[in-house]
Amino acid sequence: MARRMGARGGTLALCLALALSLLGGCARQEEKSQRQLFAMDTVMTLTLYGEGDTRGAEEILDGSVQQIQWLEDFWSAVRPEGDVARVNAAGGAETEVAAPTASLLRQSLELCAVTGGALDITAYPAVKAWGFIDQEYRVPSQAELAELAGRIDYRQVSVDEGTRDGETVYTVTLPAGMELDLGAVAKGRTADLLAESLAADGVSSALLDLGQSTIRAVGEKPDGSPWRIAVQDPAGTGYLGVLELADLAVGTSGGYQRYFEQDGVTYWHILDPDTAAPARSGLAAVTVVSPSALTCDALSTALFVLGLEEGVQLWRDHPELEFQALFITDEGELYLTQGLEDAFSLTEGYEDREVTVLS
Amino acid sequence: MSRNGKIILLVLLAAAGLSVAAVAARRGETDHPVARITWDGEVVEEIELDRVGRGYSFTLESQEGSNTISVEKGRIRVAQADCPDQVCVDQGWIADGTVPIVCLPHKLVIEIVGGGSAFDAAAG
Amino acid sequence: MTRRRAEGAGRLTRLALLTAIALTIFLIEAQLPALTTIPGIKLGLANIVTVYAVFTLGPRDALMILCARVFLGAVFSGQMTTLWYSAAGGLLSWCALCLLRKALDKRQLWLSSPVAGVCHNLGQLLAAAAMLGTWAVLAYLPYLVLAGLLAGLFTGVAAQTLIGRMEKLGR
Repeated sequence: MARRMGARGGTLALCLALALSLLGGCARQEEKSQRQLFAMDTVMTLTLYGEGDTRGAEEILDGSVQQIQWLEDFWSAVRPEGDVARVNAAGGAETEVAAPTASLLRQSLELCAVTGGALDITAYPAVKAWGFIDQEYRVPSQAELAELAGRIDYRQVSVDEGTRDGETVYTVTLPAGMELDLGAVAKGRTADLLAESLAADGVSSALLDLGQSTIRAVGEKPDGSPWRIAVQDPAGTGYLGVLELADLAVGTSGGYQRYFEQDGVTYWHILDPDTAAPARSGLAAVTVVSPSALTCDALSTALFVLGLEEGVQLWRDHPELEFQALFITDEGELYLTQGLEDAFSLTEGYEDREVTVLS
Repeated sequence: MSRNGKIILLVLLAAAGLSVAAVAARRGETDHPVARITWDGEVVEEIELDRVGRGYSFTLESQEGSNTISVEKGRIRVAQADCPDQVCVDQGWIADGTVPIVCLPHKLVIEIVGGGSAFDAAAG
Repeated sequence: MTRRRAEGAGRLTRLALLTAIALTIFLIEAQLPALTTIPGIKLGLANIVTVYAVFTLGPRDALMILCARVFLGAVFSGQMTTLWYSAAGGLLSWCALCLLRKALDKRQLWLSSPVAGVCHNLGQLLAAAAMLGTWAVLAYLPYLVLAGLLAGLFTGVAAQTLIGRMEKLGR
């Protein structure tokens, strides 16, 4: 009798334990839907878990792809009918643009101002001169660079609003000779708009990878764990660390992303607006984390131009921008703003890398 | 135990066994990496990376240009390409699904599916 | 093995008592974290009462208790989606139990309970597939079969032990 009771008790305990662990570990295997596309000069991977409130995942992804292509039509400087190209070709005249463009410009200009011009969306002539648009790379002369630098000034951009037949109309004016380049902000803004649409559709778990330099995580992963975003080592092909985060965006700017070499010197696509030449601030890459992908995109460029000291100062002076940053110097040293301390960890093989936490 | 009882017990154990197997199979999906090579969105080649014995290379040519791809057990890379930026070459080897290798001008994408991913994405 | 249904007030009290027990288990279980991402799917611990009732009171009374519990449970927990899942799960396991009655007896509650548990979860999954309009939910099948087996085994052994103790006390 006693033995039977013991066996029963044992079985009971075992079952309870197993049942509870099953409960806890019951992987919420929500179905993953993914779409990959070429857009905005890069490869984008959109990953979505589960379904929307009223629309299925595939339908939602179709919509996202359309949204990206629609925005690219507006914002790409090489689309002749797009807003940016028309503004650039207007030679100083007022040009009508769509509402999304006006909104993007306004927000970008604010960021240009906050960064003291380290971010400047009017650097297109310089970017072209170095050959980053048509891949005919060359090193412009000092004189040419000085002239180009004179044409980089975000403060000369004006975005105006008017009404016509009861509807709001937006116009942009740029002095002749100046041209817009939204490369540092377009993908960020696109990610934010995509995330808004997904949220409106009731999607609670998604990862929008817009070419690795701009990533936006919507919610957490289906099993409730944070997304694991690896951070590229600017000096090689591996990953030096991981960021674990949920419902946030990540933006990265680095010289290694797009560059050419000539006579042993490396020239990259992130230009210093003051000199119209590649920004050499001692940083190899900057990664910014923030709820807004536009902020990440814009600030990662600005911080790369500013360098470590001024970049950290910007972070201290502007808590309202709600961002954290990871700075990687040319020597491979890592500097983290305090808010990222818990989210960041070094990967295998990089454990002895020095990481300084900034406050 | 009655005969019926034994039958029922057997059925239950079988159900349990099958379920455990199904769960295990679901989890084990991450051990069969396949490199999928797409050109302009269309799959041109799929390579089972865990079945590769000796490493080898091959070249893909399209009207946009050519890319020479090296395959070894468990990993793949673009060894050479005639695109101006060489981004695909610079990327080096990939061994899991974290990021694809992309040659934009040639519209070439190499990604590994079924091999799990060390990370969900890579910033950079 | 059937017992003669007790008549009158005694029977009513019995039914009410069992319904109350089932309801209590159900409401407590509702506080546990969600088993899957489909809201409303439950472990089905309250089914042990159905199992017990089918074997000691007979299918009809068991069905009455089940219906009362499902309805009141949905009302008290405030989630009407639960109604459909509980109903589907409860009914499917009740059907299975009615068939098992021929094969097993109340000394083997610990064996019939897991069967009921699996059927309960299967019923819930089918209801979910119907409600959400997709078969994709069947991806949860292996997990729910295991959960049903274990939960059923747990409640079955618990009930069996309890009954054994009570019978020894002469109830």
